[in-house]
Amino acid sequence: MPQPLLELKDLSVGFDTERGQIRPVAEVSFSIYPGQTVALVGESGCGKSVTALSILRLIPQPPGRILGGQVLLEGQDLLKLSERDMRGVRGKDIAMIFQEPMTSLNPVYTIGDQIIEAVTLHQHVSTREARDIAERSLNDVGISDPHRRLQEYPHQMSGGMRQRVMIAMALSCQPKLLIADEPTTALDVTIQAQILELLRKLQRERGMSILLITHDLGVVAENADTVGVMYASRVVEFATVEELFDHPKHPYTEGLFRSIPKLGQHAKRLETISGMVPAPTRFPSGCKFHPRCPRTRKMAESIKAAQPVSMPPGSNVPLETTPIRDADGDIFDVLSKCVGVEPTLREVKPSHWASCHVLENYEKSPPTAPHLEHRREDATNGASSDAQEVIR
Amino acid sequence: MTEINVSTLTPPADPYPAPNAGNVVDAPVSFTRKVLRLTFERIGAQLGLFWIVLIMVLAVFAPLLANSHPLAMKSNGQWSSPLARALTPTDVTLLIASFAALVLWRLKRIRLATRVWTFIGIIIVAAVVSCVTVKPPLVQVYDTYRNGLVSGEISKAIFVPIHYSPDDHQRDVEDARLKPPTLAHPMGTTADSADLASNMIYATRIAISIGFVATSVAIVMGVIMGGLMGYLGGWVDLIGMRLVEICESIPTLVLLLAFVSMFQNHPDQALYIMMVVIGALSSFSYAEFVRAEFLSLRDRDFVHAAQAGGLPLWSILFKHMLPNGMSPVIVNASFGVAGAILIETTLSFLGIGLQNESSWGSLLEQALGAGGNVFWWLAVYPGLAIFLTVLAYNLIGEALRDALDPRLNKMA
Repeated sequence: MPQPLLELKDLSVGFDTERGQIRPVAEVSFSIYPGQTVALVGESGCGKSVTALSILRLIPQPPGRILGGQVLLEGQDLLKLSERDMRGVRGKDIAMIFQEPMTSLNPVYTIGDQIIEAVTLHQHVSTREARDIAERSLNDVGISDPHRRLQEYPHQMSGGMRQRVMIAMALSCQPKLLIADEPTTALDVTIQAQILELLRKLQRERGMSILLITHDLGVVAENADTVGVMYASRVVEFATVEELFDHPKHPYTEGLFRSIPKLGQHAKRLETISGMVPAPTRFPSGCKFHPRCPRTRKMAESIKAAQPVSMPPGSNVPLETTPIRDADGDIFDVLSKCVGVEPTLREVKPSHWASCHVLENYEKSPPTAPHLEHRREDATNGASSDAQEVIR
Repeated sequence: MTEINVSTLTPPADPYPAPNAGNVVDAPVSFTRKVLRLTFERIGAQLGLFWIVLIMVLAVFAPLLANSHPLAMKSNGQWSSPLARALTPTDVTLLIASFAALVLWRLKRIRLATRVWTFIGIIIVAAVVSCVTVKPPLVQVYDTYRNGLVSGEISKAIFVPIHYSPDDHQRDVEDARLKPPTLAHPMGTTADSADLASNMIYATRIAISIGFVATSVAIVMGVIMGGLMGYLGGWVDLIGMRLVEICESIPTLVLLLAFVSMFQNHPDQALYIMMVVIGALSSFSYAEFVRAEFLSLRDRDFVHAAQAGGLPLWSILFKHMLPNGMSPVIVNASFGVAGAILIETTLSFLGIGLQNESSWGSLLEQALGAGGNVFWWLAVYPGLAIFLTVLAYNLIGEALRDALDPRLNKMA
């Protein structure tokens, strides 16, 4: 069994604020295998970007602080490296591209200057060789006339072009892992498709891993091999992309899928998940999703109505309910366990992790760290069909 | 079955070419060039630049404009150039530097950064070489030429436009003190019988060097202090800013008076001490600007990108953040040069400035004689020079500020 390229083990990150410490990332664990694309999805503020920045140790310190856990890159704990060694990892082993291509390039330098600086720093080559490498990487991301483009300033390029340049810059040092933090959010839909296609192509050619951070489930469906769903600082579900889309386990994931409008479906309003993402300063106790959770609410209702309890067989959640108040001030009941005990990720089904008390056999499932060495079907198909094309 | 090495074949073309990949884009125009064009579009900035270039030319060619030594003379049937022999290392360095600047300016094909570094290298080499090789006579007896011409010992002499060196006290003339402008002395003479025009020309060197060096010292110190405070934040910022505020609350002039009079018995170093003290005192305002800029730049995406690229701290601070936060510093620098000149003038006017060389301020000081006499030429000419120079820097600074103001133009 191959070793994972990157392994997060119980990573927790805290920020010191005036109203006490908050934990935007709590006990996050997952693995990325070589050549794999792992997607982290979740709403804004759920901690996915902070997770990514913590991998590179780029959260501002202070106020940020890594509270615990490990970030293992090929078995080496990045959190234990000196700042100097860490700089050698950034850009060389792990590269990152950001959401805003319009502002991620330094406006006062030409594209060439910026790529060449990174290349000479990490690859110890002469400026001339670096220029060749820069030209080749611009060519690789589909920018025509790279020789001339190298001498241009960022403001002379469109958003899509700049994101290509960012990708070229990130990939110029042949990183093993690319962290793409919402790489297409700021781009229009046609350019999004181009950029994602480009990332897939480059990944196939180079066999690098990608950590894809997004809130776009369409992007996930198209690109990811495995998916981690984050909600309020925790990974609440982790599975292969096919498994997650076909059989979501966590009520939050279910809610996300219900919120997507479907083609051919007539609906007056789009479905939403009721309530708001809690602010990190005021996380609810127990399961952080319980104030918004339809599942626990339904259970509690049926218990209160003294109807035959429709608890899933095998789950031994005590049948107590607790009244809570939602964002609108309405009072309703949820299961006491959901308010009292915070669930952690458990392998509720082979190769499928979720954290929800009200799940079939949740209690009996082993609390292992999620790791899946899975590749999507069409990814390998795509690669082989590509190769076939070339051979023909 | 034939095996084909896939890697030697060309990869499939990108199915989605970049949208405007084929379009012709304008030739790249750097931000600096745009700003300069916008700045010097203004008539005021042009006039300011003209004046500054003029006093720079005067400063460089001062010995060829005002000198008691003849440019060439014939004595005992032999031609010689006492002027060339009397050139100081400073004169030689300045001449070489200006020549180098002119040549490098024309070499447009070489990168600007390369040219700037070459220029700095040439200056350093020229300064060292001329300090070692150029040895002007220690004692200058200027009246020998005038006496020689009268007595016929010197049969022919060619003089530069103004026939007097700034420290030529005309000991051969009965009373040359404080004479109003005449044909021989177009701007009159000073309290110690020297030619005012000659002194005015040589004083441009003081004005320019004190302006530039003091401002450079201020910028370097301010940028380092402000950059570190803004980027690191936290307690560095907290303590640093309090120190800056404390230092800023001390009245500049009082502190300067104290410092300069402390070093009163080192008249040779007075100029350098003054430069450093003026620079250090004005560096605090630069530190505040730069800190504010860096505080906002710290959270800009390209800074995050630079951090994620593993660039070292100095590169992030001074290569990626500084050029983006330089605008207020540059604008303030042009006002700062004017301010430094004014401070030097003030000190010299108060009589505690430079002692060995005359500056516009010290010339201005002589305008008020004992007994309430006012010697108008000593007030008007140096006063005008100070006024015009400060005005020139302010005009340029104002034009620069408008050119760099993002609200007035839409440059990215």
